[in-house]
Amino acid sequence: MNMDSTIEFLANASVIRVEAWPGRPALDFIRGDLGLKGTKEGCREGDCGACAVLVGERLADGGFSYRATPSCLLALGELDGRHLVTIEGLASCNGGLTPVMKALLEENGSQCGFCSPGVVIALTAWLIAGERIDETGAVIAVEGNLCRCTGYGAIRRAAKRLVSDFSGLPAGPMQRLAALEKAGVVPPALAAWVMEEKGAANSDAGMAGGLSGADNGETMVSAGGTDWYVRNPDPVGGYHPFFIGREKAYASIEAAYPGAEARQRGLVIGAAVTVHEFFTSAFVNSIVPGIDSFESQVASSLIRNRATLGGNVCNASPVADLTAILMALDATVVLAGPEGERETPLARLFLGYKKLDLREGEFLARFLVPASRSRFNFEKVSKRRHLDIASANTACAIEVEGEAAAPRVVRAAISAGGMAAVPLRLWKTEAFLAGKIVDAKNVREAAGLAVSETRPMSDVRGSADYRRRLLERLVIAHFIRLFPEAGLAEELFP
Amino acid sequence: MNPIPESVLNVKGQTRYIDDLPEAKTLLHAAVAASPCARGLLKGVDAGAALALHPSIRIITAADIPGVNQLGTAVADEPLLVAAGSEWGFRGQALALVLADSVSLARRAAGLVTFSFDELEPVLDAREAAAKGLIILSPRTQAMGDTAAAFASCATVISGRVESGGQEHVYLETQAALATPAEGCAMRVISGTQHPTGVQEGIARVLGLPMHLVEVEAPRLGGGFGGKEDQAALWAALACLGARVTGKPVKLVLSRKDDMRMTGKRHPYSSDFRIGVDSGGKILAFEADYYQNSGAICDLSPAILSRTLFHAASAYRIPNLRVTGYMCRTNLPPFTAFRGFGAPQAFFVIEAALDAVSRRTGIDGAKLRRQNLLCDGDSFHFGMPVENCRARLSFDRLVEKVKWESLRRNIDSHNAKDPLVKRGAALMPICFGVSFTKLLMNQGGSLVHVYKDGSILVSTGAVEMGQQVSRKIARVVALAFGVGIERVRVERTTTLTVANTYPTAASTGSDINGMAALAACQEIRARLLVEAATLLGAPAPELSMESGRVMRNGSPTPLSWDELVTRTHEARIDLSAHGFYATPDLVYDMKSERGSPFAYHVYGCAAVTASVDVLRGTWRLDSVSVVHDGGESIDRAVDIGQVEGALAQGLGWALLEDLRFDEKGKLLADTLSTYKVPDFHFMPEKVDVEFLEGFPNHRAVMRSKAIGEPPLVYGIAGYFAVLDAIAAARRTAVGGEGPGLYDIPLTPEKTLDCLMGARP
Ligand SMILES: Cc1cc2nc3c(=O)[nH]c(=O)nc-3n(C[C@H](O)[C@H](O)[C@H](O)COP(=O)(O)OP(=O)(O)OC[C@H]3O[C@@H](n4cnc5c(N)ncnc54)[C@H](O)[C@@H]3O)c2cc1C
Ligand code: FES
Ligand code: FES
Repeated sequence: MNMDSTIEFLANASVIRVEAWPGRPALDFIRGDLGLKGTKEGCREGDCGACAVLVGERLADGGFSYRATPSCLLALGELDGRHLVTIEGLASCNGGLTPVMKALLEENGSQCGFCSPGVVIALTAWLIAGERIDETGAVIAVEGNLCRCTGYGAIRRAAKRLVSDFSGLPAGPMQRLAALEKAGVVPPALAAWVMEEKGAANSDAGMAGGLSGADNGETMVSAGGTDWYVRNPDPVGGYHPFFIGREKAYASIEAAYPGAEARQRGLVIGAAVTVHEFFTSAFVNSIVPGIDSFESQVASSLIRNRATLGGNVCNASPVADLTAILMALDATVVLAGPEGERETPLARLFLGYKKLDLREGEFLARFLVPASRSRFNFEKVSKRRHLDIASANTACAIEVEGEAAAPRVVRAAISAGGMAAVPLRLWKTEAFLAGKIVDAKNVREAAGLAVSETRPMSDVRGSADYRRRLLERLVIAHFIRLFPEAGLAEELFP
Repeated sequence: MNPIPESVLNVKGQTRYIDDLPEAKTLLHAAVAASPCARGLLKGVDAGAALALHPSIRIITAADIPGVNQLGTAVADEPLLVAAGSEWGFRGQALALVLADSVSLARRAAGLVTFSFDELEPVLDAREAAAKGLIILSPRTQAMGDTAAAFASCATVISGRVESGGQEHVYLETQAALATPAEGCAMRVISGTQHPTGVQEGIARVLGLPMHLVEVEAPRLGGGFGGKEDQAALWAALACLGARVTGKPVKLVLSRKDDMRMTGKRHPYSSDFRIGVDSGGKILAFEADYYQNSGAICDLSPAILSRTLFHAASAYRIPNLRVTGYMCRTNLPPFTAFRGFGAPQAFFVIEAALDAVSRRTGIDGAKLRRQNLLCDGDSFHFGMPVENCRARLSFDRLVEKVKWESLRRNIDSHNAKDPLVKRGAALMPICFGVSFTKLLMNQGGSLVHVYKDGSILVSTGAVEMGQQVSRKIARVVALAFGVGIERVRVERTTTLTVANTYPTAASTGSDINGMAALAACQEIRARLLVEAATLLGAPAPELSMESGRVMRNGSPTPLSWDELVTRTHEARIDLSAHGFYATPDLVYDMKSERGSPFAYHVYGCAAVTASVDVLRGTWRLDSVSVVHDGGESIDRAVDIGQVEGALAQGLGWALLEDLRFDEKGKLLADTLSTYKVPDFHFMPEKVDVEFLEGFPNHRAVMRSKAIGEPPLVYGIAGYFAVLDAIAAARRTAVGGEGPGLYDIPLTPEKTLDCLMGARP
């Protein structure tokens, strides 16, 4: 059964054209077939960043991006029509040592050196994106890169040096790329590729017939791959990946009704929208003000660039963060299949442990997120504060009326993750809260009730008892954060 | 800073680690089929399904071993592959080797090999093992004074229990080896090891060859941290076995998951202590029993236990002391060397004991510690005199630097106001003995060539794994010849150039190998100066070498380095030399447990501050300040990197890294998604490392001090800082401060349990 297809892309400065199975991990192709050994394998599960490469994309709006991507979680087929830049590509710059490399070298940020290519890639992507050229921005850029040798101090100093050297980069992406090329940060191949007259490698075709259309073998949605490749580190074929992120129809965020104010009518969010796009979307922040502040609690920047909302839901983990968030936002999912589309509330999608209400040939196409007047909060506790899966998480959207010191709940939606075989909505707690004044007694009672609705398990991320205690505290935390004027902290923690 | 060429290759992605080397066409890839449960009796291997996967697949078992199926050195308990009819001791032990055309095939095939076996009841807990008499070698005790009598005269006596967990190395490059059959039955091996000679010896034994037929080369490693000291031999020997059986080159690179479940880690310890102080807080007596969970294989456990015992009193003067260690054999992976090598576990116990004293008596922790610090004239409990002690010096400098008193007051006033975030601080001194605790290992060799163009090549037994020992050695050599460091190249370690080496470990890498290199340089230098004397017509004692030139009484002469080298060669004088160094003055008598096992001690002091989120039970590290006694540094930038890196690992061990096994001995945290090591955000932004200036160390190369391990211990202060913050919260929340149990790592789960009174 031949599952190969033609994949064509630019690797550094060479055009690559291969017949290959598009589901193959890009890392193996890069190290094996291309012989580019500067890209390292440290974990093969997205947790170390040693395998990071730059993936250039020409966007539909005429813009471009070069994002740092863990190649161990990247399907080879995702490179089709794109520009792969590895550490060898960067080292081809004039003189071979880019300013990023030099900074790392001069601050002694490379000891054993195994993490260094990934760190260089991540910092280079950060300069190209140019979003936050400050120390915090630099740390976010490299938060997905583990270094076991340096303790990060030297890498931080290198990043600081880059901040001061590159704080004046032009705002326009193309001008910035030109400036970086001039400074020897990137080779000329990047700007040349961006300006090629080829346009975006995405499609508008959609997948009208659901997933059953393929004539040989199964078709499977391949979104960010950040969950799939962790579970299947060495896939050997047997399915056609459907790269949903390439389909405009599933990869954008729009207001529900054209022309209408998003804030009033809600949003349509494509399943292939990435976690980063979601948190930083102006639309999303307009209906959930301040939601961008929770981005750093999810995975790492490397992963957030790839991970999609649809993948977060469909991987059906009981503790997925975006699932918890979307559930509290009362999202509805639109499922597309051979018989057309149907809608169902997200909270109903989960039938059992890792089991979804998805029919043969169906996939998740979009989320509908209604507008509301609620206040929103997200809580997550994991063993390591960043880049870790939660022991428990919970999101909460609460609409209140009345005075700030003693508001009355109109409506509450609270989700809980890691507390049962499936992600939960805490229906009883929500019902209890409706109409109640936000005060210490009610909050304490709600927290207790919340725990009674759950059936957590013990595993490496926490015992069942711990999870119960934690959820109780996190529910209280929602109220302390959302209603600072209600004096809850002083009363509950004298 | 002058980067050495190796670091340049690193940042350009051009360093070649084992898995990056060019592959021969005939290369076979290996994977290991491992034991499926913690303890079992192997009856047979069923390779049917694996062989059916692909024609290239070969399965190799213990029956194929030509020599002795044994890698254990201290105790013969480490078979290369467990043979049918024998028991295996832990889940993940190698039972069969699988070879195939590709890594992917080899790993899949390894997953298809099945075994027939009897599952046996495992023992996982160290104390349970001790109770059952499962003790490796015999318990070991060190003592000084009379503890029983001293306890009777103490104002306060406290006993307690202390637990510290294991720690996975997470060197970013996993264990790897590449074996190539050479002429005759010789074997060339590239091994990711800190101990090339150990690997050579192991291979020679299992292949039944003399050592001179086995050549082992250690390239630059992607991290080691002790995990590639004894633990690298198995993989190299397996690759050689595959190469011997097939006649083809074999590469074995462990996947991260296999590396995590099959290889050794830091030893978990469970300990009891009893401490007694007088009414002013002076320590009069201390006793401890250390139950070391040694895992299924002896490995380096005896040496590690001995370091525990040597460091039982940390930097404190304890006149009456009695400590006993037990190596408990369990059915967990073979616990092994990890930066610190048994010392951190001991430091944690004595610090816990002092914490308990401070809480019970109300004596301020810093005051309590300071008044008990060692001074010159004291002696360690094993009889070694305390000399050039810098315990008070670094302690006082740190207290001044962080303004300890006002720091404490600020924390208290913050804590009085903020119900949701409590802050805490802790301070601790260190005193770390440098030398291998096994006397024999304190020796090293080198080979130095000066080529006729003036460039210099150095080979030593020191394996480069990121600790930048090659940079230090290059600096030593450059200074000896008075040339720029760019003239010097430090070659990777191979058994061809330097024989009978000991591991690059115990922080002694640059001490021993730097000295060995220097010895060779001095020989060549003397020959060069004799020639220079002839050429310049000046007496040799008036000459020296500096800035690439021969100097006479400190002023430059016309004779340059290049010319001198050329002329010396033309005069038919040898420009190569072998150097050797054995650390002097080390004596130890194991029977009486008395002697001077260390060349010197490293001192220092650290303060850590932390905050606890009372609501969520999470903590964050706010700052770390260190005053460290590093002697005169050969390379300050390298030393800072070592302190910062060790600190991160120490803090990770104390607070984050949670090496969990289930009740059947299966490692639960077996991937980087479940086993969390420090990331960028974990480390506080404020890490301030200061070196004591003006305190040279005359017992090591260029008056420096070893740097690799000692700073790891500072991480323990992170534990006590968080504990201090928890105590502040508990005072109001559950009454009483706790804890009844000192338990590393202090994960968020334990933190919340502590805050909610769910643990003592
Ligand atoms: C290092 C690391 C850290 C992580 N940290 C977090 C974290 O902090 N919080 C968190 O919640 N998750 C985390 N994850 C998990 C993962 O990144 C997220 O769940 C992510 O959102 C998955 O999305 P994806 O697009 O990458 O999914 P993929 O891997 O592409 O897909 C996952 C599964 O869902 C299916 N699928 C995907 N999209 C659809 C669709 N539209 N319709 C039908 N089926 C579909 C796929 O076929 C596949 O079976 C982490 C993962 C890694 C590797
Ligand atoms: S190999 Fe670790 S992130 Fe890809
Ligand atoms: S330098 Fe070794 S892992 Fe970063």
